Amino acid sequence: MNLDFWISVAVLAGIYGVFTLGLQLNAGLTGILNFGQAGFMAIGAYAYGLLVVNAQWNPWAAVAAAVLAAVAAALLVGLSSLRLRTDYFAIATIAFAEMVRYTLQNAQFSGGNQGVLGYDTAWRGFADAVSSRLSQADFGGHSQLPLLVLVWAVFVVLIIVLTLLERTPWGRILKALREDEDAVSALGKNALSYKLQSLAISAAIAAVAGVFVALNITYLYPSVFDPNFTFFGYAMLVIGGLGSFAGTALGGLLFWALLEGTRFVDLALSAGQQASLRFILVGVALIVLNRVRPQGLLGDRAGMVAGR
Amino acid sequence: MPRLHARYAVPLMVSAVALLAGMAPAISAPLDLKLGALLESTGPLSELGPPAEKAIKLSAEAATKAAAAAGVPATVSMVAADSQGDPQAALSAARTLVDRGAACIIGPATTPESIAVLNGLTMQKKVTLWPTATSTRLRTVKDDGTIFRTVPPDDLQAKALVLAMDKYIGKGKSVSIAYRNEPYGDALSKSFVQAWTADGGKILADVSFDPQQATFDSEADQVMADKPDAVVVIDYPETFAKIGAALVRTGTFDAKKLFLTDAMSFAKVPDSIPAQAIDGAHGVAAGAPTNSAPYKDFNALWDKAGGVANTSLTSNMFDAGILCFLASVEAGSTDPGAIRDKIRTVTTDGAPQFSLDNLADAVKLAASAKPLDYVGASGKLSFAPNGDSTSSIYDVFQYQGGKQVTVDQVDVH
Amino acid sequence: MPGSDDTAPRADLDGARLIASPALRLAALMLLIYTALIALFGPIPATQATLNGLVSGTYLGLGAIGLTLVFGILHLVNFAQGDLLMAGAYATILTAGIGVPPPLAALAGVVATALLALVTEKLVWRPLRRSGAGTLQVFLTAIGLAMVIRFSVQFVAGSQVRSLGADVVSTVGLGGLRLGLMQVLALVIGLVVMAGVGLMLRLTRLGKSMRAFSDNAALAEVSGIDTGRIVDLTWLVSGSLAGVAGILYAAAIGTINPNFGVTLLLSLFAAAVLGGIGNAYGALAGGLVIGLAQDWSTLFVNARWKPAVGFAILIVTLLFMPQGIFGQARRRS
Repeated sequence: MNLDFWISVAVLAGIYGVFTLGLQLNAGLTGILNFGQAGFMAIGAYAYGLLVVNAQWNPWAAVAAAVLAAVAAALLVGLSSLRLRTDYFAIATIAFAEMVRYTLQNAQFSGGNQGVLGYDTAWRGFADAVSSRLSQADFGGHSQLPLLVLVWAVFVVLIIVLTLLERTPWGRILKALREDEDAVSALGKNALSYKLQSLAISAAIAAVAGVFVALNITYLYPSVFDPNFTFFGYAMLVIGGLGSFAGTALGGLLFWALLEGTRFVDLALSAGQQASLRFILVGVALIVLNRVRPQGLLGDRAGMVAGR
Repeated sequence: MPRLHARYAVPLMVSAVALLAGMAPAISAPLDLKLGALLESTGPLSELGPPAEKAIKLSAEAATKAAAAAGVPATVSMVAADSQGDPQAALSAARTLVDRGAACIIGPATTPESIAVLNGLTMQKKVTLWPTATSTRLRTVKDDGTIFRTVPPDDLQAKALVLAMDKYIGKGKSVSIAYRNEPYGDALSKSFVQAWTADGGKILADVSFDPQQATFDSEADQVMADKPDAVVVIDYPETFAKIGAALVRTGTFDAKKLFLTDAMSFAKVPDSIPAQAIDGAHGVAAGAPTNSAPYKDFNALWDKAGGVANTSLTSNMFDAGILCFLASVEAGSTDPGAIRDKIRTVTTDGAPQFSLDNLADAVKLAASAKPLDYVGASGKLSFAPNGDSTSSIYDVFQYQGGKQVTVDQVDVH
Repeated sequence: MPGSDDTAPRADLDGARLIASPALRLAALMLLIYTALIALFGPIPATQATLNGLVSGTYLGLGAIGLTLVFGILHLVNFAQGDLLMAGAYATILTAGIGVPPPLAALAGVVATALLALVTEKLVWRPLRRSGAGTLQVFLTAIGLAMVIRFSVQFVAGSQVRSLGADVVSTVGLGGLRLGLMQVLALVIGLVVMAGVGLMLRLTRLGKSMRAFSDNAALAEVSGIDTGRIVDLTWLVSGSLAGVAGILYAAAIGTINPNFGVTLLLSLFAAAVLGGIGNAYGALAGGLVIGLAQDWSTLFVNARWKPAVGFAILIVTLLFMPQGIFGQARRRS
């Protein structure tokens, strides 16, 4: 087995692990079914890419702007749709994410079907320098290693921060919202405001993940932000465990190891059949897991009530 | 067209003579070449997966057979992975291919996937990448000489289309265009619109459609609304059945005024495409005469193998596999970088020409490390320094009674 | 019950009386827009776009009706519905491929899809309901199920396009207006089926039991309704509807591949939610609103915006009518 391959799997696990932290905050903690995470991710990634390429912004400033753009979108979505029923909200957020994707594909400013290229010069210069240092130190030319370290460092920091936040009074209100929204309102707390905060933080996290995706694929294109990735995020969430931020890391690693590792299963089948089999496997895993251990591997039973 | 056969006949005779001189194979260790197939097995373009898989598999089989006939110890096999129509998945898939020993990667079908694979993997590993993406964007990226395209770049094809339309409907006419709303249709349509208006022509409707939709009638109505002198459609045969039928339903559409691109070039019209939507339509394709001898041989091979029906661009993928193989024999190695450095040696202009029917002779010559010129099933192949196909000769074809007939040739230089 | 809660609106399965006023208002609005379009673009282009919209709207409504039944009666968001449609079309194509005459193959396709829906109930949904899963678990299970169906079909039949080989070019003309013969057929069958389902829910005993079950499952059980049977029948009906829709789509569109269900799914959801979940006529109305809006939009903007228009309509409608077009009426009455 090739180390480079598993490094790139770990990069994906890290990127989508960060992405899923937001879903964890929404669905696992607050009880909001946000199915538009891929849309927030797209906004973050494109804001970053376009500001660096077209406006020659400093990459750090562009990351900040990307996060702000995603938060603004979350406030817009939340203010208009958080009043809806749980399942209607889920569908409304998918519709939002799809509109974002179609807009990026069809509009002029986003490069349309030709995508955005060339925003990663600074990063690649840095990463190449690091990996050539590493190969001098006899550590191979693993070009993805710098991104791996960056992604997982951010991921771990976010896990710690969110776990701490969960224990604050603020976090307890979010959990209470998940259990019984009316009770929270009766205590004089503005339920909508707390839900909005949850959604906005989640979108900010998605934007960070979006910047990582941009660095990973070196070319921004709308289909990278297909709603499928939100579904993947939820699969990671359920594998890792509802309500557990640390579980998200486990879920991310297991999900991507399963999805990418199955590429090595070599059966006497056509390539098309083999590809189908991989996704049949993912589907079966989702069904069985939700039935056998709905709270996930590291989750608590309380997290299960999300969206009831 | 007799003219076309003449194009190949003389060089083929020359090559046969060259072989009579007798050249001993000089390969020491047996070659075990693996062609990496980066396929759209799932995802939004999954309809392209099965024919691509078959084309690459056929090239591996043909190569192994030719090696055996030539007495050169080489076996060629295919390893495949699913790019899922997604750049990240394509990169991951490409890694597994390299991991399993692929010396070349044939595919993927889109520019975003190609760039992710190039930057993340193949440039570093010197693995040649043979995308079927046609965007001119791939020409400008830094690739360290690893990208080769057997498909024509958009700008040349757009010019060829304009020349063909000048001839068959006349200069300065009004044209409506409809294209798939994705990178291929988008980029090629822009190149065409630019070339057509620069030539004095007018564009009436410019309609891009989502190929996954259920209905295309409003799109078709828009295309036909201002009574265009001609209609250009940029689509794949797999989905053309839908927009094609919708065009026919407008009642004002005449397939004789329809012009198509190389992705719509195939020997036999698929059953799913209604005859009224395509019979009489013209199109251009780069040196891919479906009635040339090499193409006919390829098509016969395809039909004999059974399975999915033949469609467009399969011969281009087949040729990529053969070129990779010949370059490997030429280098006496399956090292990706060594193969990359020999691709131009097996497509040397003026060297003895070979094609599918005498592939074994080509293998013999390659084994003695001499230059040769492989004439592909998709036509004569040669590559610019940036890896683009340089064939400037385009065939103008027409569908007559369900069959493709080459009616003219244009030179875009 | 997955996702059942007291705040959910009771599924509005009854038709005629309740829909009267919003249906009239909706029709008036559509007529107004149509008139404006005639003024702007002339009678032929405006009417042709409207006809095209009616066709796509019926397609959507027909596909959404099975979705809305399951959503309304079982309170289950079935992300696998699109793939059920696709499975129905493939069952027909594969059966016809071995030489069975098309009408019989279509029948086999419908029966196969209904049985497939029933199998999903027995193997997946019933155990999940008993485990007391929440909305999220239901969503994810449905997504997993959708993958299993889609890629199982692809495993067997491949991902290359397939065709039912129906005549997709013949048209019926009236003045300067035209519609495809298969489209007219799909339109008529679609409307008949939808009306039939609406009447079935309103008039038959089964329909009444379904409505009772939807309103209050426990109460329905106490009052002697065999709830297990109701659930099974709901799946059979929903599955047959998916089969009919899938086959009509495949015939009228021309070519399909295993992706066709999933690409359609979000539009079907949009139609069902827009019309008001659980309402058979609502699915039709929702489908028509989206279909008309999409095809009308092509008069103003490039057709590449068509899919986005559908989603925009959904979001806007939900903002002003959080329960969908017909859900609103119920709350007011």
